[in-house]
Amino acid sequence: MVEGRPVPSYAGRPLLELVGIGKSFGRTAANRDVHLDVWPGEILGILGENGAGKSTLMNIIAGLLSPDVGKILLNGETVRFSSPRDAAAAGIGMVHQHFKLIGSLTVAENIALGDARWGRGMLRLTSLRKEVGALAATLGVAVDFDRRVDDLTVGEQQRVEILRALSRRPRLLILDEPTAVLTQDERLGLFRLIADLAERRMAVIIISHKLEDILENCRRVVVMRQGSVVDRAHLAGRNRADLVRMVVGEDLPAVVGSPERAVAAAPLITVENLTVRRANGTLAVDGASFALLSNEVLGVCGVDGNGQSELIQALTGMVQPASGRVHYHLQGVRDGWQDAAMLRRLGLCHIPEDRHRHAILADLPLTANYLMTHLGRREFNWRGWLRRRAVHDRVAAAISAFEVRAPGPHARMAELSGGNQQKFVLAREFACAPRIIVAAHPTRGLDVRTIAFVRRQLMRMRAEGAGILLLSADLQEIWEMADRVAVMAAGRIRGPVAVSETTLQDVGHWMTAR
Amino acid sequence: MKSVRGDLMLGVLILLSVAAVPALFILAAGKSPVAAYGALIGYTLATFNGFAEVVVHAIPLTLIGLGVAVAFRGGIFNIGGDGQLIVGAIASVAVAPWLGRMPVPLGLLCFLVVGFAGGGALGALVGWLRARFGANEIIVTIMLNYVALQLLTWVIRGPLQEPMRIFPQSFAIPATVELPVLVANSRIHAGLIVAVVATLVLFVVFRHTAYGFRLSVIGENRSVAPFAGINDRRTIVQTMLISGGLAGLAGAVEIAGIHHKLQDDFAGGYGLAAIAVALMARLNPLAVPFTALLFGVFYVGAGALQRDAGIPFPIVWIIEGTVIFAFLAYDALMHRATAPR
Repeated sequence: MVEGRPVPSYAGRPLLELVGIGKSFGRTAANRDVHLDVWPGEILGILGENGAGKSTLMNIIAGLLSPDVGKILLNGETVRFSSPRDAAAAGIGMVHQHFKLIGSLTVAENIALGDARWGRGMLRLTSLRKEVGALAATLGVAVDFDRRVDDLTVGEQQRVEILRALSRRPRLLILDEPTAVLTQDERLGLFRLIADLAERRMAVIIISHKLEDILENCRRVVVMRQGSVVDRAHLAGRNRADLVRMVVGEDLPAVVGSPERAVAAAPLITVENLTVRRANGTLAVDGASFALLSNEVLGVCGVDGNGQSELIQALTGMVQPASGRVHYHLQGVRDGWQDAAMLRRLGLCHIPEDRHRHAILADLPLTANYLMTHLGRREFNWRGWLRRRAVHDRVAAAISAFEVRAPGPHARMAELSGGNQQKFVLAREFACAPRIIVAAHPTRGLDVRTIAFVRRQLMRMRAEGAGILLLSADLQEIWEMADRVAVMAAGRIRGPVAVSETTLQDVGHWMTAR
Repeated sequence: MKSVRGDLMLGVLILLSVAAVPALFILAAGKSPVAAYGALIGYTLATFNGFAEVVVHAIPLTLIGLGVAVAFRGGIFNIGGDGQLIVGAIASVAVAPWLGRMPVPLGLLCFLVVGFAGGGALGALVGWLRARFGANEIIVTIMLNYVALQLLTWVIRGPLQEPMRIFPQSFAIPATVELPVLVANSRIHAGLIVAVVATLVLFVVFRHTAYGFRLSVIGENRSVAPFAGINDRRTIVQTMLISGGLAGLAGAVEIAGIHHKLQDDFAGGYGLAAIAVALMARLNPLAVPFTALLFGVFYVGAGALQRDAGIPFPIVWIIEGTVIFAFLAYDALMHRATAPR
C-alpha cells in the first residue's frame, strides 16, 4: 500500500471517543447511536453519501451543535462543548467545506478573528505574523499575510483556513471535503501536509466523497449511511470497489461511456474572438474562438482562475463580454447580448459552479427555487400573475423524476443535503428541454451514487441531441464523458481536440503552460 | 421539540421586562408606575378619544411602514420615509388648486396619486443612484430627508405660502380634495380606507405577482439575479419607487385628512418609527397595521402620560425603546431555538 503513511499507536486510550451520539432535527434523525474513536497520530477517513450525517457529526465534535444523546470523551474525560470556542480551547479544530473566511479582510485579520491571543481590542498582528509565520514555515506552507482573502484562489483560501485552525495548536483537526475544490497538485500538497501533521502526533479526520482521498491517505475508514455508522474497517488490502460497496451497499451501474454519434453534429454555439474582463478590469478570457456542437460533450479544463469561470458566465448571459461574438444557433435568437432569462427561454441552461452563490435560495422553499429560473414561462407567470398551483405540481413532478430526497415542494432548500440540492438544480435546469447545457463542476462534492446519477442525466441529454459544455477540474471525469476537450490557461483557450486523439499528459501539460 | 411552555415562559418574561425597565425610570422620576401605565393604557385603549387618536396616527405609520417593508424585502434600506412623505405632500398641495375644480372623488383621487408620484419620484431617484453608481441608499435617503425638510421650509415661505403672506404655511387645499371624516366626533378620516386598501394590495403583490417574487429573490440573494436573468437594477428602481410612493401617499393623506395645508411640523417624524413598524411586522404587510397601532399607542400615550399622570413624556420613548429591544431579544431567542443545521 502507500508508503510513508504514518502509523498511529493504538495503545493506551483514544484521543477522542464518541459514545452513542444521537441528534435530530425535527423529525429527521441526522445521527443515530454513533460510536467513534480517533487516536493520536491517526488519519481517519469518514465516508458516506450526501445526507448520511457526516457533517452533523463533525459539527457536534467541533462544538457547533450539541448532541441530543450520547457523550464525547476527550482523553478519557467527558467533555461538553457549548460553542466552537470551547472545542477549540480543548484542542479541536475544523476546516469546513464552505470556508468561513471574510473576503474583505486580509489573511492576518482572518487568522486573528475570534482568537483572543492576538488581542481583544487592539490586534497584535506583528506577533501573529511572527508566530503563525514560523508555524507555516515549519510546515512548508507559503503564506502572504497582507493579501485580501477575496484575491486568493480557492486552494489558497483553504490553506488559510487550515493555518488558522493549526494556529490554535489543535490535537485533532477535522477536514470536511478538503479536496472538493482543489487541483491535483494542490491535493497532493494538502495530503503531504496532513501526513506531516499526523507524524507530529496530531489526529486528523477527513471527510471526503473521493474514494482515492481515503484509500491513499487513511489507515482506517468509518462508513456512515442514514445517520448511523454502518461499517468500519482497516484499509490495508482494500480497493476502490470495496469502498464503493461499503458506501452504497451494492454495486453501482457502470458509468455510461461515450458511444459514437449517430446524428451528424451541427454547431449550437459559435464563439469568435471572445474577450471577457473581470469586475476589476483584468483580462479573464483572451480572444477565445471555438464551437459547441450538438450531440457532444465538450470538456473544458484548467487550473482554477484561468478564465474558465468567466468564459462560462459570458456564454450563459451572466456577464457581458468586453468584445467578440457569441452566436447561439437556437430558434428565435436575436442579435446582441442576451441575459440568462432570455437564453433559457431559447433553450440554454446552466448548472453553475457555485451552487450556493448563484443557483439556490437556501432559505426559500423548493417552489421558489424552481420558479426562479422559469419566471418567464406563461405556464407559471400569466401577465405578471403567478400561478402557484402549477409551480407546485411541476416541482412535485421534478422531485420524483430526479429522485430528490425532500420532504415536499414546500421544504426549504437548506433542508436538503448537498447532493439532493444539486439533483434539484439539474431537474430545474433540464425542465425547459435545453438544446445547450453549460455545466460547471456538476459533480463536485457529491457522493459516488449521485455522481453516477448526474453523469447519466447529462449523457441522456447528449443522446437526445443536446450540446454540453462541461467544465471540470476532474480530468478523469472529462475522459469518461467528453467527446472533445479544450484547455484554458491564462485566459487563452487551447483546442478543442477529440479526446481520442489526445492524452492526459498532453492536457495536463497544456493546463500548466503559460 | 422545544416545549410550548418554554416559549410561553419566555413571552411572559419579556412582557415583564417591558413593564419593569421603564418602571425604574418612572420611579426615578418620583411617580408611580402603576398610575403611569394606567394613564397610558387607560387613555389610549379604553377611551373613545384616545383610541381614535391612536388610529389617526396609525394611518401614516401603516402607509410608510408598508413602504419600508417593500424596500426591506428587496434588501434595500429606505430610511427616507420622512423626506418622501414631505415631497409627496408638497407635490399634491402644489397641484391642489387645479384639482379642486374636478368632480368630487376624482380630484381627491388625483391628489393622492400626485402624492404617491412625488414620494415615488424621490424614491426612484435613490434607487437609480444606487443601481447606476452603487450609491449607498441609507446615506442618500438620510441626506435627502434634510433636503426635503429644507424644501418644505422654503415652499411655505415662498411659492406655496398662504395668500396673506404672513404665516409660514401654505394655502388651504380646496374642500373638494379633503378626505372626509369617517367616524363622527373624531379625527379618523377616510385615509383609514386608503391604508387598509394599500395593505391588501401589497399583500397581493407580494404573494401573487411576478414582481413580488423577483423582489424576494433579490432580497434573499442578490448574486442569484444574473444567473436567473432577473434585472436587479430595474427591480431596485421599481422598488424604491413603490416604497417612496407609499411614504408620499402618506404625506398626501395627512394633508387631505388632517392638516389641509402644509406647515413646518406637519410631518410628525413618522419615518423612523415606520422602520420599527415594518420590522416588528416581519415585513408582512398584513401585520403592518397592527404594529402601526402599537406605535400609535406610544404617540398618543406620550401626551396622556404628561397630562393625566404628570410624568415627563420622554418616558414613553423609553417604553417604546424597551418594546423594540424586547422584540429583538425575543426574535433572536426564537431564531436560535429553531436555527437550521
